[in-house]
Amino acid sequence: MEKLKNLLRPLFFVAFSIVTVWTYIVPDAKGFQYPAMARIFFWHFPCSILLLAFMFTGIYFSFRVFKRVDRGFTSVESAIEKMQWDSRAEAAMELGFIWAILTMVTGILFSLVQWGAWWQWDPRQTSFLIALLIYGGYFALRNSFPDPEKRAHFSGAYCLASALPIFFLVLVYPRLPQVQAVSFHPTNTIMQGQLKGQYGYVTITMLVLMSILSVWLYRLRTRVVLHEIALDYKNGNLEISGRSATPSGVVRPVSVPDENESATERN
Amino acid sequence: MNSSWQREIKAVFLKELNSELRTKSGLITASLFSVVTVVALAYAAYNTSLSGTIAAGLIWVSILFATIVSIPRIFLIEEELGTMDILRLTARPHSIFWGKSLFSLAQSIVTAFLLAGMFVAFVGQRIYDPTLFLVSIFGGSVCLSSAVTLCGSLVAQAANRSALAAAIAVPLLLPVVTMAVGATRGSLGAGFHQQAVNCALGLIAYAIASQAIGPGLFALVWKS
Repeated sequence: MEKLKNLLRPLFFVAFSIVTVWTYIVPDAKGFQYPAMARIFFWHFPCSILLLAFMFTGIYFSFRVFKRVDRGFTSVESAIEKMQWDSRAEAAMELGFIWAILTMVTGILFSLVQWGAWWQWDPRQTSFLIALLIYGGYFALRNSFPDPEKRAHFSGAYCLASALPIFFLVLVYPRLPQVQAVSFHPTNTIMQGQLKGQYGYVTITMLVLMSILSVWLYRLRTRVVLHEIALDYKNGNLEISGRSATPSGVVRPVSVPDENESATERN
Repeated sequence: MNSSWQREIKAVFLKELNSELRTKSGLITASLFSVVTVVALAYAAYNTSLSGTIAAGLIWVSILFATIVSIPRIFLIEEELGTMDILRLTARPHSIFWGKSLFSLAQSIVTAFLLAGMFVAFVGQRIYDPTLFLVSIFGGSVCLSSAVTLCGSLVAQAANRSALAAAIAVPLLLPVVTMAVGATRGSLGAGFHQQAVNCALGLIAYAIASQAIGPGLFALVWKS
């Protein structure tokens, strides 16, 4: 298995390099002010899809923080399970935040080149900016709670509360007829079959490769955090809501001052 | 809803009302903020005719900040006074949320209508569709109050709670403000009337959804 992984990693990077070169050699798209620069789309589109995918994944993992599954766990084991789901939610939100920033950067670049201004207050642009602010609110709230269990609860609830505005902002508002009429940003490009030929193939391939990269990064991130939790639990360093989560059967070392030494110090 | 739920919600609502009437801090803060904001806007717009779109935007930005200034306090004050634990022992989370949410809704509606009314009177803005205007202010107030109440409960135990309440509430409220501006500007004679009606309907749907989600989420974090 390890050998297969070692083989797949270089293969992935070779494939990514080939597709990156492919993005430069496809014929220019028609209907743009600077057709050569329309290639930003190959990077912009997968970033926006992954942003949404990770945001909804984060919302699902936050939901799992609160979902009660009766597995006969003790309260400490349940708390640890919650922390594990919370770590997964955090990892998904972190990756979503990175993709949100990349979406904004590539979108701004596209706007500057094709529409003549770096920021248009276009409804779609602004929707993604608000999504970025919601990510900011999530991390601000997380950092305000030092206790891991409270952090999991409060940030999870905020993540769930953000589902409604995110759904509205990204999937409903930009598709309203009155908004579409004034927006520069196209909608339903793929669903209406506007991406044809090599442009379509490059876009889909790039989306697949970036998704693989995201999943790989996500797995690395969660593996580190889950190992940290397991190690803290094993060593008796894990504290949940102010109480120790030391596993049963483990004796914690206690330093007892030597009576003779104490007497000497007193004298 | 059985009588015990009603009793609990009523008790929480009356507790909030009595606390507010004793100090009047929320009402005074929101009213003062509204008066100062409207006077500043009317002063800046002196001898200028504002378009319906600009006027609607100014009204809703003012209402948004007036709400954020006053409403999260209903949870923050419990934490500051150390009465949160008593509340946990005496009532169920859904009753607490509904009681506090109803109080914050009343406060939000009073603030919003005061602010919008003063703005219209001071700036001399003409209202073309009073029903749509009232619906947009009411629907927007319901959405704002439920979201800000929930955010207030989320940050109540945080270290930097006052600043954090505004920081996490504003991104969640921007879609509401967008729809509310769309509905209000139609009532002030700007844009297409049918679009404004659609925005008002969207606002009502959003208000129902946020009121339905709020108590459930609050119950999840209440015992933390």
